[in-house]
Amino acid sequence: MSDYGYTFSMDQLWQIAGGQIILLIAGLLLIGLDLAWMGLDSERRTSRLGWVTVTALFAALGHVVYREWQLHEVVFMGVFSMEKFTAFLTATVLMAGIIASVLSLNYLHNNGRARGEYYILLIFALYGTVAMLQSVDLLMMFICLEIMSIGVYVLAAYLKDDCRSQEGAFKYFLLGSFGSAFFLFGLALLYGLTGTVNLTDMAVELSRGLFTRPEVLVSLALLMAGLFFKMAMVPFHMWTPDVYEGSPAVVTGFMATVVKAGAFGVFVKVLTVAFGPILYESGQPAFASTFHLAALAAYWKPVIWWISLLTMFIGNLVAVSQTNVKRMLAYSSIAHAGYMALGILAGNDEGRMGVLFYLFTYSLMNLGAFGVLFLIDGKERGAQTLEDYQGLGYRFPGLSFLMSLFLVAMAGLPPTGGFIAKFYVFSAAIKEGYLLLAALGILTSAIGAYYYLRVIYMLYMKDPVREVEPGPAAFPALAVLIAAAIAIIYLGVLPEDLAVLADTAQRSLALVF
Amino acid sequence: MVTLTHYIVLSTILFGLGAIGFAVRRNAIILFMSIELMLNAVNLSLVAFSRYRAELNGQVMVLFIYAVAAAEVAVGLALLISLFRHVREVDVTRINILKG
Repeated sequence: MSDYGYTFSMDQLWQIAGGQIILLIAGLLLIGLDLAWMGLDSERRTSRLGWVTVTALFAALGHVVYREWQLHEVVFMGVFSMEKFTAFLTATVLMAGIIASVLSLNYLHNNGRARGEYYILLIFALYGTVAMLQSVDLLMMFICLEIMSIGVYVLAAYLKDDCRSQEGAFKYFLLGSFGSAFFLFGLALLYGLTGTVNLTDMAVELSRGLFTRPEVLVSLALLMAGLFFKMAMVPFHMWTPDVYEGSPAVVTGFMATVVKAGAFGVFVKVLTVAFGPILYESGQPAFASTFHLAALAAYWKPVIWWISLLTMFIGNLVAVSQTNVKRMLAYSSIAHAGYMALGILAGNDEGRMGVLFYLFTYSLMNLGAFGVLFLIDGKERGAQTLEDYQGLGYRFPGLSFLMSLFLVAMAGLPPTGGFIAKFYVFSAAIKEGYLLLAALGILTSAIGAYYYLRVIYMLYMKDPVREVEPGPAAFPALAVLIAAAIAIIYLGVLPEDLAVLADTAQRSLALVF
Repeated sequence: MVTLTHYIVLSTILFGLGAIGFAVRRNAIILFMSIELMLNAVNLSLVAFSRYRAELNGQVMVLFIYAVAAAEVAVGLALLISLFRHVREVDVTRINILKG
C-alpha cells in the first residue's frame, strides 16, 4: 500500500519526481536564459525561450508517460502519490501546456508583445499544477495551488496597457485568494479534528467515527468551496467571464484547461480518498477502513447534485445571450465543468473514467477554439464579436473549418470526442440513478448546441458586415491546431484506446490508497 | 482559563469578519486587508490546534502560509497598482468595464 520512504537514492528521486524536476529546472533555466540572451531583440529571445519551454514540457511529458505511468506508490512521507490517475491528469495538463506554449509563440508575435517572462510564468504555473495533482496532502495541495494561481494571476494581467486585462486579473486575484482562504480554513479545521492533513491518514481517522460530526461536514464544505472557485462552478463562477474575456486569448485557453484540470483532479482525489469510499463495480468499498465513509458521501452528494445542475443551467443559458465569442466560450467552459461534476457525482468507475476522458478531450477542443479565436482576432480584441464572424467561412475556409469543428465538438455532436465524453459522464450518472439530473443535463446540452451552432451559422450563412483581417498563422501553431482537430475526430470514432487508459488510470486510485 | 474553544471561536469570528468585510467593503485595499485577516484567522486556529495536540506540525504550517500570503500580497498589490494606472480608482464597484 503506502510506502512512507524517508530515504531514497538519487535514482529513485529521479524515478518518482523526474517530471517535477524537469519543470522546475526548466523554469529556473528560462530565467537565466532570458538574461543571457539580453543581446537579442525581445522577439527572437522570446521565441527561443518558447521553444525551450516546449522542449522541457515534452521531456516532462515523456517522463510521465514512460516512468510515472508505471509507478504505484505514495512517496516523500505521504506527501506525493504516484499512480496512474495522477499520471493521466499530469499528462493531460502537460499536453495542454505544450499546445498553449506553441500557440503563445504565434500569439505574442501577432500582438507584438513578446517578453521573456511570459514563458517563465507559464512553466511555473504548470509546475504548480503538476505538483498539486501529485500531492495527497492538503497543505502541499494548498501551496501548489497558490504557485499555480500566482503564476496565472500575472499571466492574466499580461496585456499591460490593456485595461480589461488588468481588471480581469485583479478580479481573479481577489476572488481567487478569497477562495483559497476558505480552502485553508477547511484545512485548519480538519487538522484540528483529525490531527493530520494527509488524505490517507485522514480517511482512517474519519472512519473511526468522526465522520458524522457536523464540524467535519463544515470543514468539508469549506474545502469544497475553495476548490469550486478554481473549478469555476456556479455559484462561485462570478469571476470567470470577466477574467476569461480580459486575459490574452491563449492564457484564457490555458486557464480553462490546465487550471480546471488541476482543480478537478484535486477535487476527485479529496472526495474519493478522504471523504468517500472508492467503490468497486460490485459496490464494495476498496478498504474496510473506508467503509464508513460511504455515509459521509451521502452528505456531499446532494451538494454536488445541485451545483452540477446550476452550473450546467447558468453556464449554458447565459452563454446564449453573449455577443462576444470569447465571453461566450467562458460561459461554455462553466457549463462543461457542470457536465464533469456529473461524473464525480456518479462516483462509479465509469463516472471517474468519464471525467478523465472529458478533461482530456475538453483540453484539446477548448485550446483549439481559443487558438483559432486569436488567429481570427488578428490583434487582441480585434474581431471577437459574432458580427465580426459573419461571412468568414468563405474568405478564410481553413480557420473557419477548424473553428466549426472545435465548436461542434464542444456542442457534443458526433463524430467528435466531445460527444463520447458527454456520453460517458451522462451514462455513468444514469447508471447510478441520477435520471432527473441527467435528463436536465441533456436539456441544457441542447441549449448549448444552439449557441455553438449559431457561430457556425454566422460563419457560413451570413454576409460579411465588417472587414476582418486575421493575424498571420505560422506553421507550428497551425500544425498544433490541426493535430488537435485530428485527435478530436479520432477520439470520436475510436474512443476505446483512451477510454481503456482512463479506466486503468481511475482504477489505480483504489489500488494505491 | 483560556481553552481551545476560545481560540477557535475567536478565529472563526475573525475569519467571518474578514469574509463579511470582503463582501461589503468597496475599497480594494480594504478587500486586501480582509483577505489577510481571513488568512491570519486560519493561522491562529492552526497554532491553537497545534498547542492543543502538543505537536509542532500546525506551527510549521503557519510558516508556510505566511510565505504564501506574502507572495500573494506582493503580486496582488502589483496588479492593483497596474490597474490603478488605467482607471485611477480603488472603488471596486466602479471598476466595471467588463460585464455582461
